[in-house]
Amino acid sequence: MVLPVVVVISVLVLLPLGQGLFFTFTDINEGNIANPFLDRPSTYDVVGLANYLNVLSGEPAYGAFWATLVRTLIWTFSGVFFHYVIGLGLAMLLNRPMRFRSMYRVLLILPWAVPAFISAFSWRYLFNADYGLINWALESVGLPTPVWLGQSNIALVAVIIVNVWLGVPFMMVALLGGLQAIPADLYEAAEIDGATPWQRFVHVTVPALRSVSNTVILLGVIWTFNMFAVIYLITGPNPNTRILITYAFERFFSGATRDYAIASTYGVLILSVLLVFATVYRRALKRQGEVW
Amino acid sequence: MRRRTLSTMSVMGLASALALTACGSGGDASSGDGAVVFWDTSGPAESPVFAQLAEDCGEAGGYQVDIEQVAFDQALNNYRNAAQGGQGPDVFRAEVAWVPQLAEGGLIQDLSETDLADSADFLATPWSSTQYDGRTYGVPQVTDTLALLYNRELLAEAEVEPPTSWAELAESAPALGGESAIFLNNDAYYALPFIYGAGGDLVDTEAQEILVNSPEAVEGLATAKELLDDGAAQTALDQGNSYGNMKAAFVAGDVAMIIDGPWAVAELLEGEAFADPENLGIAPVPGPADGDGNSPVGGHDYVIRQGSAVTESAQDLIACLSSTESQITVATELGLLPTRESAYEDPAVSAQPIVSAFSPVIERAHPRPWIPEGGELFDPLKIAYSDILAGNVEPQDALDEVATIYQDTILTEYTAN
Repeated sequence: MVLPVVVVISVLVLLPLGQGLFFTFTDINEGNIANPFLDRPSTYDVVGLANYLNVLSGEPAYGAFWATLVRTLIWTFSGVFFHYVIGLGLAMLLNRPMRFRSMYRVLLILPWAVPAFISAFSWRYLFNADYGLINWALESVGLPTPVWLGQSNIALVAVIIVNVWLGVPFMMVALLGGLQAIPADLYEAAEIDGATPWQRFVHVTVPALRSVSNTVILLGVIWTFNMFAVIYLITGPNPNTRILITYAFERFFSGATRDYAIASTYGVLILSVLLVFATVYRRALKRQGEVW
Repeated sequence: MRRRTLSTMSVMGLASALALTACGSGGDASSGDGAVVFWDTSGPAESPVFAQLAEDCGEAGGYQVDIEQVAFDQALNNYRNAAQGGQGPDVFRAEVAWVPQLAEGGLIQDLSETDLADSADFLATPWSSTQYDGRTYGVPQVTDTLALLYNRELLAEAEVEPPTSWAELAESAPALGGESAIFLNNDAYYALPFIYGAGGDLVDTEAQEILVNSPEAVEGLATAKELLDDGAAQTALDQGNSYGNMKAAFVAGDVAMIIDGPWAVAELLEGEAFADPENLGIAPVPGPADGDGNSPVGGHDYVIRQGSAVTESAQDLIACLSSTESQITVATELGLLPTRESAYEDPAVSAQPIVSAFSPVIERAHPRPWIPEGGELFDPLKIAYSDILAGNVEPQDALDEVATIYQDTILTEYTAN
């Protein structure tokens, strides 16, 4: 009975994917797509590789692809790095016996429970250069007050901060689960052998967490790479915070031309980048002897 | 085995077809009972008046009106998404630049053969925004433009007259506390007075030419940047917060002048600096040409969605909402500018201080290109203007890039200079 699976996969995954791939070779947009409600036939043409050539040329009119790709990678890896480091730190703090432990856990998971757009708008107010709480605090201790969400790379720093704040709880919970699965007698044995806390961390905690870490890091990279809400809702179409997915959205939906062809081209390129990353990552894990 | 799979597939196909028709009829069902769905995009201070009008119209005409409040900056997108799926409102309040775009996309009805196409009483410029390809696609609701709004008290204290040129503004700025003189909104529409004032334009639709990087337009935006550099003006360099900060600073009395349209007035008058409405002064936007043709024409039109099931009631609703009486109500209660000449003849309208202050400005306002792409010209310009004001890019370079984007992705038929 493999056929139902094949049918479901092809209807839900392969068919739309194939259609998207086909669109990248056409000049389809809102004006020439077929629309049964408006009684209009489709009038788009196949244009070959023109979309790919336009996008890969790196022209600003097509989203400055290479610069945007570099920015996307900076955004993704700095985000995931801080998610992981801070998440692990908090998980280890919370993994010790202490009073009100469950209350702290609930408080730390809260940012994750708040809908992303609400957090995004709150942060936009906090980052307001003239009236925001952050600059008010910086000013009151005599520090310079930057324009956080302006036309500069500080805007990228600002959205990374928000993304880290949003993503840490998930990492924390996932790693906390991993930490609790480590048998306590491993630590006891290490302690009896005279291992320092740092040695216990490096030789017991890190190896025991490896399989959880590998999964959450891969998930984190894919999510962050495609994290749209934070950037778009906080800075809008600002070229200094533009990543691949927000540009695809701008071309697909926002005020500018609804150019489905270019947006699909971006979609295919995003998928390709992630596929390459996942393959390399898996290879690297295999080489370390992980069965994944 | 094989047959079963085939039947599974056809069942799935049927199910999705059913789902689609369900969606379609779902949209109709809400209006199938005769209710006209009206998407109102006005601001929170204005919408109660429009809602009341629409309800009264429905009661008088014997049909039901469902008013849905839609945020202005989301409305076009939402409408396009809904209308392409055969759903959405029956009557839509569309910004003037949206009308040719929606008409070209076949998303709104051609009203040329209906009673609504009678242009006799309407002002020429607002009416021209309803025309596309020689056909009528909408009825003008209100017209507007940008003007210089000022705090009379602050200007009187500093013994300064409202400036008529940017040079005058720069001269009088020190008396007003330097950069507290004026707050410039960091947004594309608000860059237009600088461009128009210097004799520039975005495009020439007759000659099919892109003018956004012409020397005049460059000079216009350079003037805005100089005002900031000279400490005669301020702006929010974080573009997304700019409009909010501008209004906040103005109603708190922190800045003496801003540039904004009549739609903002109802909200500004709720602020503490304008507890006495007399304190709000209105003058033409400064410019080298003495305020002549410096500010862009804006406004809104009523349109009917293509595929609406209640076209007749929708037409009745529009006729009622855009009638002289309705326009008088809107003008007297909100200070929005009517589009019918007969409405201006009403003494209550001509006595309305905001209307009477704005009408000389609008008579000299600069028309915008009524082309389908007109609304899309703003996004690239917004980024360029923000970059210029932040001092990241020279005006010429920023506008050259805008011209490239226009030519590559929006106006491919046009020539660039």
